[in-house]
Amino acid sequence: MFAALRTAASRLLGLFKKSPHQDFGEELHSHLSMLTEENLRRGMTPDEAIRHAHLTLGNLALLQEIQHDRQSLPQVETLFHDIRYAFRTLRRSPGFTLVAVLTLALGIGVNTTLFTAFDAIALKPLPVKDSAHVIRIERWFESGSQGNRQYFFSYPEYVYYRDHASAFSTLTAVSWQVPAIAYLSSGSTPERVAGELIADNYFSSLGVDALLGRTFLPEETRTPGTHPVIVLSYPFWRARCNSDPQILGRTIRLSDTAFTVIGVTSQHFIGTGNPPQVPDFWASIMMQSELLPGQDYLHRPNVPFLKLFGRLAPGISPKNAQSEMLVIARQFQHANPARDKTVAITLEPATFFGETNSLHFRAFVILLMFLVGMVLLIACANLANMLLARAAGRHREIAIRLALGAGRARLIRQLLTESVLLSLIGGAVGLLFAIWASRLLWISLQEILQSLLWSNVTLAVNLSPDIRIFAYALAVSLITGILFGLAPALQSSKRDVAFGQASKRSRLRSFLLAGQIAVSMLLLITAGLLVRGLVRSQNADPGFETRRVFLVRGDYGADPSKTTALFRRVVERLENLPQVQSLTLVERPPMTGTWTLYLRVEQTHAAKPHDRTLANRVSPTYFSTLAVPILRGRTFSRQESETSAPVAIVSETTARRLWPGEDPLGKHVQLDLTFHGQWTQFEIIGVSKDVRTANLSRIDPAYFYLPTGLPQLNTILIRTIDDAKNTRAAIRASIESLDKALQASFSMSSLEEAVVSKQRLLSKTYAMFASMLATLALALAGVGIYGVMSYLVSRQVREIGIRIALGATARDVVATVVREGLRPVFIGAVAGLAAAAGVSTILRATLTFPGATDLLFGVSVFDPLTFLGLSAFLALVASVASAIPARRATQVDPMEALRYE
Amino acid sequence: MPPDKSEILQGTLDLMVLKTLDAMGPLHGYGIARRIEQLSDDVLHLNQGTIYASLLRLIQRGWIKSEWGVSDNNRKAKFYSLTRSGRKQLDAQAKNWRRISGIMGRLLSLARS
Repeated sequence: MFAALRTAASRLLGLFKKSPHQDFGEELHSHLSMLTEENLRRGMTPDEAIRHAHLTLGNLALLQEIQHDRQSLPQVETLFHDIRYAFRTLRRSPGFTLVAVLTLALGIGVNTTLFTAFDAIALKPLPVKDSAHVIRIERWFESGSQGNRQYFFSYPEYVYYRDHASAFSTLTAVSWQVPAIAYLSSGSTPERVAGELIADNYFSSLGVDALLGRTFLPEETRTPGTHPVIVLSYPFWRARCNSDPQILGRTIRLSDTAFTVIGVTSQHFIGTGNPPQVPDFWASIMMQSELLPGQDYLHRPNVPFLKLFGRLAPGISPKNAQSEMLVIARQFQHANPARDKTVAITLEPATFFGETNSLHFRAFVILLMFLVGMVLLIACANLANMLLARAAGRHREIAIRLALGAGRARLIRQLLTESVLLSLIGGAVGLLFAIWASRLLWISLQEILQSLLWSNVTLAVNLSPDIRIFAYALAVSLITGILFGLAPALQSSKRDVAFGQASKRSRLRSFLLAGQIAVSMLLLITAGLLVRGLVRSQNADPGFETRRVFLVRGDYGADPSKTTALFRRVVERLENLPQVQSLTLVERPPMTGTWTLYLRVEQTHAAKPHDRTLANRVSPTYFSTLAVPILRGRTFSRQESETSAPVAIVSETTARRLWPGEDPLGKHVQLDLTFHGQWTQFEIIGVSKDVRTANLSRIDPAYFYLPTGLPQLNTILIRTIDDAKNTRAAIRASIESLDKALQASFSMSSLEEAVVSKQRLLSKTYAMFASMLATLALALAGVGIYGVMSYLVSRQVREIGIRIALGATARDVVATVVREGLRPVFIGAVAGLAAAAGVSTILRATLTFPGATDLLFGVSVFDPLTFLGLSAFLALVASVASAIPARRATQVDPMEALRYE
Repeated sequence: MPPDKSEILQGTLDLMVLKTLDAMGPLHGYGIARRIEQLSDDVLHLNQGTIYASLLRLIQRGWIKSEWGVSDNNRKAKFYSLTRSGRKQLDAQAKNWRRISGIMGRLLSLARS
């Protein structure tokens, strides 16, 4: 065994040794001379001596050849030869190589990008010890409601599970992120931080160690309120504490309690969040009422705030554990009835994003994989066509090699080496592309997420390429190379490669081409429409004041008894500032989410799904503050506001829709505020001008403003005298002096920067992605057309030659070639147009929901300019792509062509 | 297929080369070939080229090593010598060979009944 290894190693080394051949030659030469000398000594003549010496030693050339074969690996050497030859061939036609590599890079790159995202989301395990065995507990509700809440359990539930379940060797719990105001040192300015409350065994059961200091001791996590100690996360320690090595033992005030820092976790531990967000610190669950004063989570069985992680006990299958957990959960619920019963418990691998095992997620991934797989397949088909066309051109070379005795297998191997080499280069470029694109994709996704969720989430996602991604890119490249190289290699290495055969194959080719054109047409038009929307979005006017109206936000504390009082003080202070012209309170500020209600005008008729309207609760000053004119009637009175009186103000469009040609004032309408069919009657007291409140993309199709009092109106909008910097500074200073906690959390941003610009950015992102996809599809389609046309021309060289010889003009030749090549293009384009019209119809259908964003910002979904213009553009690309091979056809020399073959 | 004669010779040739190097110390290819021929009283006539196949095999297994040097009559030649693992191998193979030849000897001396 060992000897065999040594042999292999020595052979491998032999490949790289400078010249074992020459060395051996010298040795043989010396051997020959010794033999000759010996023979001379025995009295032979010199001639005889030499002849005899040669006889004794044997055939020198054969000896050397055997020696050479034994000293190296002949298979590998042939491979080297093939690779060197392939490189030379590719260098000879740089145009082809460039197009091929780029096509492949795009195809493989797009696939690898998706895989990178998939890897980061679903495959990368938690950064904990033996992560493969850590599971997360998920529950399913009787009501069928799904989402984040499936992962959360109350503290009494956790304790009950931990004490009664035998299926787990360890079960631990961690809360969602709890906000707090922190003073990092005495006298410093307060800052907003967020930490997680954890069960006693959180760090120990996950095997997470401290970089500095230590994690919690058992006695620090047993009794409520007795051990104010925290462990900091590495990012927090580095960014906010400047990596202070003296941090241990330092006191940090969190929500009025002084906590002592006992440790900093290692930098690899980015928490167990789902999705992954690194908390600033960890504290024991026992410190809950210190961190969130005025709330009691520890004793209430129906306040779910803990995610449960565990490790299965040895020999327990997940299935057994699930059924045991369900029994225990039922017992718990029996003693503590919940509003929504838990009907099932499942265990899932603890990856960073939940739901990665759900059918929905899988279907979504499969769909995406299918789409990008199609892109790669198109790229393969294109390359196969181009290779076939090239092979027809290399006919002579291949014929010569066959005639010289190259075996067919040897030729196929050579041709495959060439295509695999191409695909590997393409794959390498594609991998670089993927690393770049996945970052870009993630940034945009995060931006979309932030503007949709209306928060500044930063997800700690590790997109760095790991071994899985390299393996994936390599595998995809190899498969691609064989896929697009095999058919051409098989065909062109046939001894009797004949002209004008394989009509079936060319039908498949036409079909592929047509499909490809259809997809790119669809993508082009979708992108075109989105780009038109983007152009409009940049100038879209919301209809209300956005630059001088500011959204004022702050953290008014967790204790409900103090929150309202502080809020009132802030409102009073703001109202009296000279810089503030006007102040209003709203339930939801413009463009930050919608509230959609069913409505009916007459008592008798039941609401139909399309009888829906957007609505919002606002204070009487809303209209004056945002500069939305009241066209008829009046705004709410203070008394109507405080009593939540059944009156409403509607937008122009709403009035026109509900009471065409009538006076809306004094009319009655019923709204279902509870979503349970409990109708409340409202009287219309005013009509306001149409604006874009739900989103920037279109005038609100229907809008009701309703009055209500303070506790529900929790957001402040102010209109300042100007938008100068010092005006803002003055307001800020005045509010911050009111309360220390507000100092950390107070934020003030104009509607323009807080919401409008984000909406514009969003439509820019959509348009950018659609354009990228469309460019990709167009490029692939262009290459596809070029490939097919080249193939057709190279196939018909002889026919074209004859026709030219018989007097056909260049025009005739081009017309024939182009007609044949462009027929599938035409069919594909028509199909693509039909599909685009279908997508447009779906897009328009989504707009019946009042809060839906009109991605096109009012551009007609069948915008003739886009449809016709882009069809013409595709036609242009198609003609350019087919012009080069067609021109080659006209330059066929009849004599040459007839002599050919 | 009948057993290849050279194949049988090959196995023994490696052992012969090892033993020759063990007994004579560093030696070049010609010297090894001559020595084996002399020891067999010139009964065994080698195609001397085959010695090199054997030498390469032994080198690749790490049992012998080679070095350029100068022969007795002042000619440049490659000298082969046993390595430590080669010596171990020789002992093992010699033992094995003796056992087999002992068995063969006893087997062949059985009287016809």
